[in-house]
Amino acid sequence: MSDRISRRDAMVRLASSFAAAAAAGAGCGRRTGGAGEASLWFAYGGNNREVLLSLVDRFHAEQGLHRIHAVYQGDYFEALAKLRTAIAARAAPALTHVVGEVVPYLERAGVLSALDVFGKERRFDIVPELGQERGFVGGADRPLVALPFNRSTPIAYYNREIFEKLGLGPPKTWTELVETSRAATVRAADGSIARYGFACPVDWWFWVALVGQAGGTVIEADGTPSLGGEAGVRALALWQRLVHEERTMKPPPGRDYNAWQATNTDFLAGRVAMIWTSTAFLRYLEKNARFPVVAAPLPADVRRSVPTGGTMFVMPRGVPEREQEAAFSFLQWMMEPRQANEWATRTGYMPVSRPGLRALEESGFYREHPNDRVAIDQLADAFAWPWAPALFRIQREAVQPRLEEAVLGRRDARETLEEARRAAREP
Amino acid sequence: MKPRRPLHPFLFLAPTALVLGLFFFWPLAIVLKNSFYRWDLLTPPEYVGLSNYALLLSSGELVGTVVRTLSYSVVVVAVSLALGLGLAVALDRPGRLYAFVRGAVFSAYVVSWVAVALLWMWILDADGGLLSTLLRKLGLPVVSWLGDPRVALFALAGVSIWKITGYSMVIFLAGLQDIPRSLHEAAALDGAGPLQRFRHVTWPMLRPSAAFVGTTSLILSFQAFDVVRVMTQGGPVKSTTVFVYAIYEHVFVNLRVGRASALTVVFFVFLLLLTALQLWAWRLGTARTGRA
Repeated sequence: MSDRISRRDAMVRLASSFAAAAAAGAGCGRRTGGAGEASLWFAYGGNNREVLLSLVDRFHAEQGLHRIHAVYQGDYFEALAKLRTAIAARAAPALTHVVGEVVPYLERAGVLSALDVFGKERRFDIVPELGQERGFVGGADRPLVALPFNRSTPIAYYNREIFEKLGLGPPKTWTELVETSRAATVRAADGSIARYGFACPVDWWFWVALVGQAGGTVIEADGTPSLGGEAGVRALALWQRLVHEERTMKPPPGRDYNAWQATNTDFLAGRVAMIWTSTAFLRYLEKNARFPVVAAPLPADVRRSVPTGGTMFVMPRGVPEREQEAAFSFLQWMMEPRQANEWATRTGYMPVSRPGLRALEESGFYREHPNDRVAIDQLADAFAWPWAPALFRIQREAVQPRLEEAVLGRRDARETLEEARRAAREP
Repeated sequence: MKPRRPLHPFLFLAPTALVLGLFFFWPLAIVLKNSFYRWDLLTPPEYVGLSNYALLLSSGELVGTVVRTLSYSVVVVAVSLALGLGLAVALDRPGRLYAFVRGAVFSAYVVSWVAVALLWMWILDADGGLLSTLLRKLGLPVVSWLGDPRVALFALAGVSIWKITGYSMVIFLAGLQDIPRSLHEAAALDGAGPLQRFRHVTWPMLRPSAAFVGTTSLILSFQAFDVVRVMTQGGPVKSTTVFVYAIYEHVFVNLRVGRASALTVVFFVFLLLLTALQLWAWRLGTARTGRA
């Protein structure tokens, strides 16, 4: 054979290599569509990710029919952005989880599979406040498209060492919140703050809790985005007072989960005596704090009120039937008391299975872990979200950036919310 | 030169034209079309005419975004250009130490934006960050670099300057090494001091390098995204929402493809005008130098 390659041969070889590369590329991009295989897109890092992956492994060990490919997709909002793009490109995963506020929008867009075909919500025997039917006003009138996964409420965490030393207890009212924050704040001789009494991300979720406590609701029953009316103003004014007048609340830098993480870091480092954040961080804070962490319910103004949070499992449409079967098999398995409880007790989220919750009560789990009890008890004060397709856009576009403007930029609360209402009414 | 066959020039141009058409002009045409619709990717688009553009203007978002992006770009381009030039002149010498410093300065440019952003988040952290700790030790007031709306944009500009100065330095070094030694020697014999030699020999010869660095840095600074995404997510209070990040927010956060497309079209026209202006200024400068 000659060492020299003719131009024609070279062209043929080049063309073959392109063809081979294209074929390999097509293979790489192929959807997981083998016997009983399905993709699960998830949005957790750290401990929660490890717990989820260990549950997926156990699912594989307990049955040989279906396989789940769990793929990390960034935080909730990054994962949601990818999901919407994937749905538009017809490359959606068989199973994923999304924040509750976006479920009505996705349902109206017609991109979610109805889970009714597998049975009504009551079949799964879930904690009603955490599911679609009771978790949303009018949720029972819509096709079942979401099942609860990691569900939470905001709670208060305080540093017991500091609180005991100062003779403080968890605040039960807004007035007590102001006083306790003042008492736990330490100012240096030059007027700078050595330790803040209170910190909370300037985030929609906590503002909605404050609006509820002040007696308002963000979207009225007829769908009007009132943003709480006077209650919304009072909620915003409370933050403004704590940050600027009292100088006892630290508004963490960053947005979304960067701000949440900054709040946790400040609390763990002792730079803040008390924080509001999600039940989701319960285990993380307990494990990493060098002081005893105590959880408490949020205080009341004219009433007690908290939103539920976290995410719900959804199955996008347009996925091959075999993948859907595998996805649903996993979903059903996750709703069982044992898995639901393992997820809850290892992370701090609430158990979504009603028999699971009963089992935890009976086993004395909550006597041993009183911090876990707080979110469960607070469910009595949880309000149902409106089934409003615009809810997510109102949250992200109309309200969230303006909360920052009002609190960090010291804009007039009433004027800010009036502008937010106008933005919320935009089609 | 006349082609052997009339089709030959077109055949040679075809691959480039195809790539440009497919990956540049076609998407641009789609973006232009989308800018006249209200669309969220999932439900059918609805024709709204020019209302996306009108809303961007009436809400003040367009003006705000342009001002923020220009402020950021002006600081990044001017300071990185000046620093790059200064470093190039100072380090254009033989020896291992100079080679090491040149390498060290340039190394920041090859590190990924995300790694740079994470490193600087730690340095700029208002509580436990390196800079704040140093300032405290010196008895100086501590600034919340990323949390204060008045300084956050300039903190990001500082990070970008740190990253891209090495690039300007390398281009200026190449330009410096192209200047014939004889010119400096002749100027020195005529009695020109170091400053005069820089003004009348070095700088005129470096103008093409400066124009190249200026244009590429400007485009780079206008495309800032990673550093904003990682360090501030456009906040606090939108103070770091520059053009590309605003486009990203509209598509992926606010579910508004139409408004993001309108912003993209404006961004494209804006960049086109800015580049034309810069090229015009460069040509004007070259023509003047030629006459002199």
